[in-house]
Amino acid sequence: MDANGGSAEASRQIRVRFTTKLPPPLRVPTTSLAVPSNLTRMGLSEIVNHVLRNMDSEFQFQPFDFLVDGELIRMPLEQFLLAKSISAEKVLEIEYIRAVAPRKQEDPCLHDDWVSAVDGSNPSFILTGCYDGLARIWKGGSVCTHIFEGHSDAITSANVINRKGVESGNSFNAATGSKDRSLRLWKFDAAEHVEHPLRIGAYKILKGHTAAVQSISSSPSGDMVCSGSWDCSIKVWNVKDSEAEGDTVSIKKRKLHSDAAEHEESQLEGTSTSTLVGHTQCVSSVVWPEVQTIYSASWDHSVRQWDVQTGNETWNMVCGKALNCLDVGGESSALVVAGGSDPVLRIWDPRKPGTLAPIFQFSSHSSWITACKWHVRSWLHLLSASYDGKVMLWDLRTAWPLATIDSHKDKVLTADWWKDGSMISGGADSKLCICSGMAI
Amino acid sequence: MPATMAKSRAAFKKKADHVEQEGPEEPSENGFVRESGDQEEESERSDVVGSSEDEGSSGEGEIDGEDDEEIHQSAEESDSSEDEVAPRNTIGEVPLEWYKDEEHIGYDITGKKIRKQARKDKIDSFLAGVDDSKNWRKIYDEYNDEEVELTKEEIRIIRRLLKGRTPHAEVDPYAPYVDWFDWEDKGHPLSNAPEPKRRFIPSKWEQKKVVQYVRAIRKGLIKFDKPKEEPRFYLLWGDDSSVAENKRHGLSYIPAPKPKLAGHEESYNPSIEYIPTQEEINSYQLMYEEDRPKFIPRRYESLRNVPAYENALKEGFDRCLDLYLCPRTRKKRINIDPESLKPKLPSKKDLKPYPLRCYLEYRGHSGPVNSISIEVSGQWIASGSTDGTVRLWEVETGRCLRVWDVGEAVQHLAWNPLPELPILAVSAGHKVHLLNTGLGDAEEKMRIKELLHVEEVLTDDAGNSVSAVSWIKHEKHDGITLEHLKTVSTVEWHRKGDYFTTIMPSGDSRAVSIHQLSKKHTANPIKKLRAPAVSAVFHPTRPFFFVSTKKNVRVYDLSKNKLIKKLEPGLREVSSIAIHPGGDNVIVGSKEGKMCWFDMDLSSQPYKRLPAHPKDMTNVAFHRSYPLFASCSDDCTAYVFHGMVYSDLNQNPLIVPLEILRGHTSSNGRGVLDCKFHPRQPWLFTAGADSVIKLYCH
Repeated sequence: MDANGGSAEASRQIRVRFTTKLPPPLRVPTTSLAVPSNLTRMGLSEIVNHVLRNMDSEFQFQPFDFLVDGELIRMPLEQFLLAKSISAEKVLEIEYIRAVAPRKQEDPCLHDDWVSAVDGSNPSFILTGCYDGLARIWKGGSVCTHIFEGHSDAITSANVINRKGVESGNSFNAATGSKDRSLRLWKFDAAEHVEHPLRIGAYKILKGHTAAVQSISSSPSGDMVCSGSWDCSIKVWNVKDSEAEGDTVSIKKRKLHSDAAEHEESQLEGTSTSTLVGHTQCVSSVVWPEVQTIYSASWDHSVRQWDVQTGNETWNMVCGKALNCLDVGGESSALVVAGGSDPVLRIWDPRKPGTLAPIFQFSSHSSWITACKWHVRSWLHLLSASYDGKVMLWDLRTAWPLATIDSHKDKVLTADWWKDGSMISGGADSKLCICSGMAI
Repeated sequence: MPATMAKSRAAFKKKADHVEQEGPEEPSENGFVRESGDQEEESERSDVVGSSEDEGSSGEGEIDGEDDEEIHQSAEESDSSEDEVAPRNTIGEVPLEWYKDEEHIGYDITGKKIRKQARKDKIDSFLAGVDDSKNWRKIYDEYNDEEVELTKEEIRIIRRLLKGRTPHAEVDPYAPYVDWFDWEDKGHPLSNAPEPKRRFIPSKWEQKKVVQYVRAIRKGLIKFDKPKEEPRFYLLWGDDSSVAENKRHGLSYIPAPKPKLAGHEESYNPSIEYIPTQEEINSYQLMYEEDRPKFIPRRYESLRNVPAYENALKEGFDRCLDLYLCPRTRKKRINIDPESLKPKLPSKKDLKPYPLRCYLEYRGHSGPVNSISIEVSGQWIASGSTDGTVRLWEVETGRCLRVWDVGEAVQHLAWNPLPELPILAVSAGHKVHLLNTGLGDAEEKMRIKELLHVEEVLTDDAGNSVSAVSWIKHEKHDGITLEHLKTVSTVEWHRKGDYFTTIMPSGDSRAVSIHQLSKKHTANPIKKLRAPAVSAVFHPTRPFFFVSTKKNVRVYDLSKNKLIKKLEPGLREVSSIAIHPGGDNVIVGSKEGKMCWFDMDLSSQPYKRLPAHPKDMTNVAFHRSYPLFASCSDDCTAYVFHGMVYSDLNQNPLIVPLEILRGHTSSNGRGVLDCKFHPRQPWLFTAGADSVIKLYCH
């Protein structure tokens, strides 16, 4: 350590070597550098940026994040090494990646009432559900193009049903669940250019729940929808059978008529194909990640896995807290993340036998967690929303949030990813906030 | 000569023996020793003198050169310190043979060689000696190579030395010893006397004594292990301690309490920091007599200035009184560790879950929230406030779904316990409203049916005015209004959702009424209540009915229509009552902030009185499924307790205080006005006078 003797006072020097998996213009030479040990992420980022600028004078500064042994550095390097008991004598291998943080706060989309559901699964638009019983399509995240009306009570959950065949034609199906105990299916054409928001009625009403529908989720194939409700049951609905091309046309016609006649009796009604019973309290969240399995979280403190075919429970885990939200994703799409009536976001690995201990716990929120979502493509990133008005972006490699978005003035009720790099969230301040510009 | 010597020696020895035997009588050992020594030396001196004279007379002229030389040398050595004449030769003490063949014998002090003198012939020297009468005194000094002639004086010294005497006749080696140290006056502890002989020989007296003992042992006069004598009689019934007590005669000793050791402040001239300031002394006057410090430190210039202790006489008298009047009985004291008397409580961790932290608030009321009630499924909560509104909230999000304006301050409200009948009973002023919340959407039929009932009643009502209560359709909202004569304080439903009870505290004989929803009928089954009624509750499983008055709790059997039990809480004013879902345990809260737990199977006295809120207790509540109960009070706190009731009748209920929930702010001297548990989660709702409802979660 040549530099050690030179700087006798506070700052010790550590020899580091920067490595990366990023493409060549962002790659620094692999020679080792001596850096002061009190550097934080910011300092390391500056060093890398300067090295890159030396190599290429055109280079634009950009923030980087740094990994040591698969863990993000979130404190001065010295502290980090002490905490992880890594020797400072050896040359430290630091991997750098592009920092993940929202750059831009776009204008919020204003609603008439609390925004209780968002779906950003399609990159061209956002589907939101609102407490005034209306669901809206926001094209490009800014213009409201469609309004779905028909629910008599607050919409609690909204979902774009991805159907591979139909997507190409710019015609989409959506499902919403509401506190009026029903689910409604909607059909709309996202390509339409409209001056004023188009008001659309449901083409199908799914009734059968005896209490408020709390959460819905469509199957990956797009022909089924499941819903969790306050009546403690999960119902699976078939949404495919009635979509013969002729039928839809007739419905549309009839619907137009009905709009004129001011009543909606003409809509199709559907019943559930199966009911999954087992929860003892409100089923607050359902997720359908694979064709055969449904995950559900409930206020009875349990997370359950169901086999769709047989309707049997295949896995059950009790966590001790009433749960509000659930998502399945992460490493090989198997990790379960759930948040509930306490400020801790927990992640379990159902493949680990014999233990109910969460493998990760994130506890930076200060109130109930209302939404949690894995990033669709990244294993490591997830977001969470809480009643404390914050949306947080998490990376599994550090216990601190990568970013905290504080744009809501009231409770955040729902949140989702959009277009890979944006976080959308709806809250009790009747806003849909969009944070974009992340490079994940 | 030898004969005389031997004689004197024998005499000496004899004398010494004699002295030794009479050792102890010898007054001065010094004197003795000196005496004997003197004697011995005198005799020896005479011997030596005699012999030397003999020798001197016999061989005076036989001293030859060599002998002389030796003598000379020794004399020279011995006298070297005194009259030293530096030798002519300076070669030092080297063997003289080294210079045997040289012409010189050495060097003088200036470094010049000293030449050897020409050797005289033996015969020449002999002849010269014959001629010279002084020749026998001449000695040849080989070292300096010269002849030295001894003086007469020197000869005399040599003679004396040969005789073994001191070289000079005037020196007396046996001069009497003068003891310059005066022993008597100085009292010196040490003695330089030699150890007496008796110290080294065995004591005769001891030997005699040992012989005596040995003989006595042999004769059997001394026995070593005596067999212990057993008492022939003993106290059959006396216990050991009393025996010990009986042995003590006279007054038992009671040690005076140990006073505290005097500190610096009790010095006559303490440091300045011990002296209280005038303010402090004045503040002592405000204290109670017993709290006042007994001693106030003061400073005095010197010990002479310290006055006499003013209470000395009084305290002496008191002490005498104490001694005189002190009861001389010894109290047996049991030392028990106070910690061990504490009941073993399970740790709070094991009793989880219980409400801990406030996560949700329900804001919207503009006045103190008097009452809250949670729907059975736990999805909605209704609250009534003094601002005259009833609000319906969604528990999960805190959203206010509906607001009913009932016109008067809401006293109490309750959900119908049936999930399919989402009806709220609201008491406000003289009226009780039954409000249709419209939540049961799928059960539209039911709701319509209910509405129909109301309309029927409306028609019935005109003729049915006998009762103190009239059933009218609500003007604004769909529902029924029950018009009472006096102010209604509480409304409670029966578990089956058909009956409900209302309390009019000032209604005297009609204070408690039970209404039947399906028949729109009102009855006053309880006529006599000695104290104003406070609240009434139905038993959760059996046809019992609890009416709490300000003094006690009365339990009625509705099927037999009679009083079966009276619970006496012994509290000043009962304010609230809650029944355990099992039905056998009741908690009663009081205005003075105390809570009593009654076990109905045990007695009419409380099983436990629980620690007090500092202010009025406003409500108590049991959880429906978790072993939890809570109390709330005007001191803005709610206490949460663990209250486990066991099905085993032998096991008493386990009550553990768990948590104090804070967060509400006081308004007009009122704090938390109501608390209710969530029916399914271990959550507690509290309604405050600050018009906020809070939800505490685990």
